[in-house]
Amino acid sequence: MTLRTFLLSIALFVASASAWAEPLSVNLSATPGNPASPQMGDHLNFHTIIRNDGPTPVDGLIAWISLVQIDKGKEQPVDLEDWSAHKAVTAPQLAPGTSLETDWPMRLIQAGTYRVVVSAVSRNGPNLTPSTFVDFKVRQKPVVESQRVLPVAVGIPIVLCGLMLWRRRRS
Amino acid sequence: MNAIVLIARKEGGDLLLSLRGLGWLLTMAVVLSVFGLLLVGNTELSLLDNAQVVYDMGGIVTALGALLAVVVGTDSVAGERERGTLVPLLLTPTSRTSILLGKLGGQAIAWAAMYVLALPYFWAVGSTGQNLIDGAISVALLGSPVVLGFGFLAMGIGARLSSARSSLLTSLIFLLLSASPLLLGPSLRQSSVGRAFDAVNPFSGALNAYDAVIIDSQTIVAQFPHFAFTLVWLGLTLSFAVYSLNRVFK
Amino acid sequence: MILEIEHLKVSRGGVPILHDVNLSLGEGEIYGLLGPNGAGKSTTIAAAIGLLDRAGGDVRVMGKDPRTEPKAIHAKLGVLPEQNGFYDWMTATDYLSFFAALYDLHPRERDLRVRLAALGLEASQRQPIGTFSRGMRQRLGLARALIADPKLLILDEPTNGLDPRGRREMHDILIDLSDNHGVGVLLCTHLLDDVERLCKRVGVIVEGRTVAEGSIADLARSYDRLARFRVHLSGTVPQVEVPPSINVISHNGDWCTVDLSPETDPQTAWRELLFMGWPITEIQHESGGIEDLYLSLTEAKAA
Repeated sequence: MTLRTFLLSIALFVASASAWAEPLSVNLSATPGNPASPQMGDHLNFHTIIRNDGPTPVDGLIAWISLVQIDKGKEQPVDLEDWSAHKAVTAPQLAPGTSLETDWPMRLIQAGTYRVVVSAVSRNGPNLTPSTFVDFKVRQKPVVESQRVLPVAVGIPIVLCGLMLWRRRRS
Repeated sequence: MNAIVLIARKEGGDLLLSLRGLGWLLTMAVVLSVFGLLLVGNTELSLLDNAQVVYDMGGIVTALGALLAVVVGTDSVAGERERGTLVPLLLTPTSRTSILLGKLGGQAIAWAAMYVLALPYFWAVGSTGQNLIDGAISVALLGSPVVLGFGFLAMGIGARLSSARSSLLTSLIFLLLSASPLLLGPSLRQSSVGRAFDAVNPFSGALNAYDAVIIDSQTIVAQFPHFAFTLVWLGLTLSFAVYSLNRVFK
Repeated sequence: MILEIEHLKVSRGGVPILHDVNLSLGEGEIYGLLGPNGAGKSTTIAAAIGLLDRAGGDVRVMGKDPRTEPKAIHAKLGVLPEQNGFYDWMTATDYLSFFAALYDLHPRERDLRVRLAALGLEASQRQPIGTFSRGMRQRLGLARALIADPKLLILDEPTNGLDPRGRREMHDILIDLSDNHGVGVLLCTHLLDDVERLCKRVGVIVEGRTVAEGSIADLARSYDRLARFRVHLSGTVPQVEVPPSINVISHNGDWCTVDLSPETDPQTAWRELLFMGWPITEIQHESGGIEDLYLSLTEAKAA
């Protein structure tokens, strides 16, 4: 094989590999209106721009959101069941040079430190395309004060029971 | 002391001094306690903000008050008739109207007892205090006509049906029908049938007012249309009770 | 007349219950209202006191119509219904005080104690009524019926739940009320002994109609119901003419069957016979009297 043939083969290989590489790019960001220091029960919103950077259309696009807790010792994936009803977006085709923008609302159910990422694949693409991460911390919410509720919830029925016993003894 | 006050005091005594009446109050308190304890212990419920919690408590107190009013109202006519205590009352020189007004006074005493019982629960769950006092006032102002109306309805039904059990069942069915939109989801309430039902349902009138005052921070005065609607409900049920009691035994 | 009912008709739900009831009760009189179960006795009472509308006939209570003047009638009426309920959490004194106030009366506690003591409830006046026995409740019901010193007292099975002493005490109270205070008493009961002891006049209702009304003696005579007795003799009967009110029917060994006319008091008859030398050792009542009369009246109508 001549050097020229070798270089041509290499170029063809790289070109075909490039042609097969996922042309998608996924950009994830927190929307500007999000609370600076969110607590349990707050709502956050994330925004993605999924762009087809390739020369050919991308068919059967699917993008989904994932959440993991990254507190030390509590690392785990999070079931988005209560966090978000909007877990995925699809598009039948994304033309070259066009983008798909999506908002991802989320309700903060549990306190902790979290990392959110949006991933995208296409029907024929060989790879998964992840977005960059967005990390956020959820503060513990001051819940209903148990020191107020417990005495009332337990005390009032006890007082009424006492009244009933007193009436019963009298009769 | 006039006959109306005498009978109202007697009816109040039936509730507050008899084992049966104290048992009903205890049941109501246990329900409120369970809700309070769930707020402390359940993760999803603990996510509710305080305004929502106070609103929910207002709704529960109104619903429980209406339930107690149905039980007390049924007992005050149909129950007394079965126990043999109504005839001696009807045979005194006291007019039936006075007897009825006395029993209505008894209903008011029962609701007042229920409301006073609920006030510590409001305080306990409304820790951030958002519209807590306005909320408690709204429940007193708008909840009273709704609750008393169900009491009067139960008295009227008790006067017309032959047994206390069938009277109680019928009244409870009316109560459940009225409360049913609350059990439907928001999307069903937005349907044309849901909206029509909401428009004539006294519960909805009160709850919409609570929502406006407690969650949306509107003034109590602005709830006058809801208040007027609950007063119409009160007037209709009062007329029904008066007409029915005048026909009892006849 | 304190109570007059003429040709009373009552329907409920379109169904005729009473067709033709007649009754009259004067002051100081005890009137027994008799009839089988379901005859219409309680319906008659309910219509008389204004609890039920009438479909026809006339009712006058103390000269007033219960449809148009119920308040005036109730002010002087005492009723002890058969189903007698109370507020169990009240004491007897509180209960009487409550009802007295409904009559616009405000007796002192001492007066209430006296009333309760007269009915044997002095020891229980501070206990909740829920602790009372059935007999005590019956007495308390009577105390309530008497709280306004009524002119007309209507009692439905008043001796229910009373022991024999309690029954006798109840009888004595009713006799005292009618004889000494002029109270008219309408007594509705199945206990014919009570009727025989208390009532000057009776009325019998069968299937919504009055089938007989009058004194027991008049009714017995008109229905030909003589009182029949069997008398045991320890020896021979003297050959002396017996009074015309005593009719010796037959002798059978030591036993002799005797009929007494309705107006004859049996005790007087036996004293007369003993005085005449009859060796009477035992007397058995065979038939006649109010029970026989009642059974014959109600059986005839049922047939």
